[in-house]
Amino acid sequence: MNRIFKTYLIVVLAFVLGVTGNVIGQKKGTNGNAKGNKVAAPALPRLTLPLAKDSVRFVLIGDTGTGTEKQQDLANLLLRSRQAFPFEFVLLVGDNLYGGEKPADYKTKFEDVYRPLIDQQVKFYASLGNHDEPAQRFYEHFNMDGKEYYRFTRGNVAFYALNSNYMDKKQIDWLQSELAKDQSDWKIAFFHHPPYSSGGKHGSSTGLREIVEPIFTRYGVNVVLAGHEHFYERIKPQKGIFYFISGAGGKLRKGDVKDGSPLTAKAYDQDMSFMLVEISKDSMHFQVLSRTGQTVDSGVLPRQKRVTAAVR
Amino acid sequence: MDVWLAFSLQFYCPMNTTKSIYRIAKMWFAALVFSLAASSFGEVRAQKPIDTKPVLTAQEKKLFATFDRRVNDYMKQRKAVAKKLPSLSKEATPAEIEAYQKNFVERLRAMRAGTKPGYIFIPAFTTYVRQTIKTEFAPKAKAEIKQTALEAENKGVPLKINYPYPESQELTEMPPTLLLKLPTLPKEVKFRFVKRHLLLVDSDNGLIVDYTMNAMP
Repeated sequence: MNRIFKTYLIVVLAFVLGVTGNVIGQKKGTNGNAKGNKVAAPALPRLTLPLAKDSVRFVLIGDTGTGTEKQQDLANLLLRSRQAFPFEFVLLVGDNLYGGEKPADYKTKFEDVYRPLIDQQVKFYASLGNHDEPAQRFYEHFNMDGKEYYRFTRGNVAFYALNSNYMDKKQIDWLQSELAKDQSDWKIAFFHHPPYSSGGKHGSSTGLREIVEPIFTRYGVNVVLAGHEHFYERIKPQKGIFYFISGAGGKLRKGDVKDGSPLTAKAYDQDMSFMLVEISKDSMHFQVLSRTGQTVDSGVLPRQKRVTAAVR
Repeated sequence: MDVWLAFSLQFYCPMNTTKSIYRIAKMWFAALVFSLAASSFGEVRAQKPIDTKPVLTAQEKKLFATFDRRVNDYMKQRKAVAKKLPSLSKEATPAEIEAYQKNFVERLRAMRAGTKPGYIFIPAFTTYVRQTIKTEFAPKAKAEIKQTALEAENKGVPLKINYPYPESQELTEMPPTLLLKLPTLPKEVKFRFVKRHLLLVDSDNGLIVDYTMNAMP
């Protein structure tokens, strides 16, 4: 009892002193300062991801489908980073094809750009954005199983691809029922519209947040990944959940992150970017690379210890 | 809790002060552990799924029933056409997706040649949508709904039934809070705003099934 009591006193003291941060190695918020347009094969920065045995390794990238040279530059860096960090799959957080969806668009805005990764059997798991037709769910390389929202697992991690473009009763009921029976250690939701954002053009999708956040907190979703905003942002943990935006995979909205936003833990809006993620046991490691090969953010997040609902 | 404090103070006062404080703290700790356990148990028990059913008046229920019936009429037509089409694989090529959609749209257009706009979106339904947006949302939420619909890049969408929604045009995010107040649609069709106008669009082939003007107040 004495030992427990002493532990309790330490915990209370730590709480009082404000030692409640969730992010280990969190950096102060800045919007980055990279320069340059055309990049000729930038040097790959040192990757800080641990490459642990049996870890789950993937990439987060969004708003890709432009078919531009810059999208290709970023894809080339992604391919090169796979040599140092052999990720297994890529999460696409929507706007997979801008402008048109003819077979030629699929080719120039996706297949040609990521062909080497597709050939290396890297799987792409897509979610739908506001520029995506629902028929994309049938596309062979988006692995959506013909569904607008779906779940898949890797190791101890469950991934929920949602259609934030159309969050109706059916999807909400499906999400609640899937999460209620999910015993995975990590639950990660990915979709297009960010519930929290410091973007000047769009900002937080508060209507969506009103609906999904109570579900996420209730059922212990650990991480939420989104796009829509054409920049990178790591949001300060909200209600115990880690939120990321990685929507600069094919488009950039330079300087769009509001300066001094209270939501921002770290942001980068000076060039296009993607995020490498590795989940090993109770830790999620991440490193965000810009098109110019800079590390614009990195860190380790501990898995939240929360009581999840036991609703059946 | 005051009773706990009075009780513990009275009990421990005669003993030496350091020991007393230590024991009181221990007692408080035990009480805290007990109350936390009790409250978290209650919290888990209280957690229920979010109720997604809208609360409707008798008149609205009738309106929703009419709407559902008319949507089902479309679904029957759609099913009849889909049955004759080669099924689309879940791992289709872009060319297969395009051919499937084209074929689907052409056959549906032929079948629905005589359908008039407003068959599904009857005037009372449009009024319901307008009133719902006007009265059920706080000013900030209302402004966000309007902004989402109005800022979308979809000027080129024709307000014509039986025409495909152009694939190059943005599909506006439907505000989830509003969707929860509208009838639940089969997964094959969706509501879409094009500026202030509300459309019913087929998810698989992009056909504009119906539209109503100025559903957004």
